[in-house]
Amino acid sequence: MVIAVVVGIKDAAKLTGIFIIVCCAVLVCTLFLNFNIDIAGIRDEITSQQVMLFYEAQVSTAKVVSSLCGGCLLITSVIMLIFYIKHYVDTHKKELGILKAIGYSGGKIAVNFWVFGSSVFLGALAGFAGAWMMMSAFYEVQNEDKILPAMSPHFHPILFLSLVILPAVLFGIISIFYSFLKLKAPVLRLLKESWQIPTGKEKHREKREEKGGERPFLDELKRSTLRDKKTLVFFIIFASFCFASMTQMSFSMDELASAMMGIMIMLIGIVLACTTLFLAITTVINGNKKTIAMMRVFGYSQKQCCQALLGGYRPMGYIGFAIGTIYQYVILKVAVYVIFKDIEGMPEYGFDFKAMLIALAAFLVIYETVMYLYSEKLKKISIKEVMLE
Amino acid sequence: MIEVKSVQKSYGSGESRFLVLKGISLKVNTGDFVVILGASGSGKSTLLNIMSGLESPDQGAVLYDETDITKLSDSERTKFRKDNIGFIFQQYYLLPNMTVEKNVKMGADLAKNTDYKTMLEAVGLGEKMKKYPSELSGGEQQRVSVARALAKKPRVLFLDEPTGALDEQTGRQVLDYICKLHKEYGFTIVMVTHNQNIAEMAGMVIRMNSGNISEIYTNSVTKNAYEIGW
Repeated sequence: MVIAVVVGIKDAAKLTGIFIIVCCAVLVCTLFLNFNIDIAGIRDEITSQQVMLFYEAQVSTAKVVSSLCGGCLLITSVIMLIFYIKHYVDTHKKELGILKAIGYSGGKIAVNFWVFGSSVFLGALAGFAGAWMMMSAFYEVQNEDKILPAMSPHFHPILFLSLVILPAVLFGIISIFYSFLKLKAPVLRLLKESWQIPTGKEKHREKREEKGGERPFLDELKRSTLRDKKTLVFFIIFASFCFASMTQMSFSMDELASAMMGIMIMLIGIVLACTTLFLAITTVINGNKKTIAMMRVFGYSQKQCCQALLGGYRPMGYIGFAIGTIYQYVILKVAVYVIFKDIEGMPEYGFDFKAMLIALAAFLVIYETVMYLYSEKLKKISIKEVMLE
Repeated sequence: MIEVKSVQKSYGSGESRFLVLKGISLKVNTGDFVVILGASGSGKSTLLNIMSGLESPDQGAVLYDETDITKLSDSERTKFRKDNIGFIFQQYYLLPNMTVEKNVKMGADLAKNTDYKTMLEAVGLGEKMKKYPSELSGGEQQRVSVARALAKKPRVLFLDEPTGALDEQTGRQVLDYICKLHKEYGFTIVMVTHNQNIAEMAGMVIRMNSGNISEIYTNSVTKNAYEIGW
């Protein structure tokens, strides 16, 4: 009964972001780790030195890709999960406060937050299943020149356990533990809807206020939106980082890896970027519904509302793009060195300006389209509905 | 002058359609203090929303001098509110992550009013400019919303149950500030309330019942916030 009060289906649906990220991570990791385990089985069949070098390069690629991709996406998923729970507790303070007030303990309520971890299980399961649907094709592509002895994919239960079951359990525990910490707040603080100022920041805040005293309201709103939602700044930077690094990587590595891998990396980049961007912007809009409604009541135009709330994130998007561009260059340079260092005629990797320009143009179009769609969404915010909430 | 002509408004559709306003007509002169009285569900807040341009009626017109605001597009109505209207709500709706000063600047910037601090001092909050709404009492928060609404120098101030969430003493204090500022700046006031005593402060009283105006009368002698009952 408590679970229905604590987390509804609509809330669980918001976890699509985590589902997609975990799905991508598990898909890539399953493909490469399964290949890595299977390829170890044919090591003894290799007699030629050249083939052994190719074999070593394949093993290194699998290790680099799965640890980079898996690690990076795992960290993002944890941050995203914590962000979701924090956001959920903040927006449902009142209901949670009522539950605590009528006698449910923080621990009893927190246990229901395992549902947030279930998104990881479903995402991991989908990624694992997706990987197995692509597995045979992937093996063929990895060995398309038939340099290595013939290989067929084998199911390894250890991978299912460590890529599907373990993350689900781990994320479930994180969800329960983190929500338990958040629910330790006194009942009255949960019941009080108004925003609390952390007392430790008082002095810092006063100094900031003195500096910003004469700033126009819209500028100040832009700054406070960025200041109060630092996690969202991270997500916007991360979204553009993913887009920049993965799209450019997929263009740049056409001579270094198979086309299939390039397309896969690009698709993951686009899906990750769009999911994270949508999550961040939706949170900004939903978290500022009352502010937007009041601004509209007072006579601020839709453009002004949009500029003040979303405009501050634009520079962050470009910063993310720049970091992503540098990252993909460094990572490919290092990867080429690690994988091909023992191979004669190591391929030369240089910065791909053309790929950067194409990615930047695509980024501009996607980012501005998303912003436009959300500015239209602002228009639909009903002043009356917000007032009645 | 504000003129409301045969305004009708309903919610829902088909069998669940409910007529909230059944053809309301009234006139409010510039500088008047008007109170709309009525029980919960009488349609008074809907009338206020329509008069202020927050909602559109199904039928009828709302004229500000010669301008019919019901004919304006959404962006034109937004601009109209920007130039002419101030609001004070029962629930204050202050921006929680902004200081008192910044909340008032929200209104002041629209009218390019750089003298907004005077307004905060006028409502007795000169000392609390750097505080956040959560650090203020209910009465203080409502006074911030008074300062915010008036800092944009509105021609008409709409108030929806401004004392509904306040105790008697604080309620009187807020009303007193509003009346003093009304006398000083000369804006028109349209206030919705269910408190009959507050009606004694207004020059004109409109009583509503089930979507109709049941009575309109004027007070030849008006009382101040400390003279009325509660």
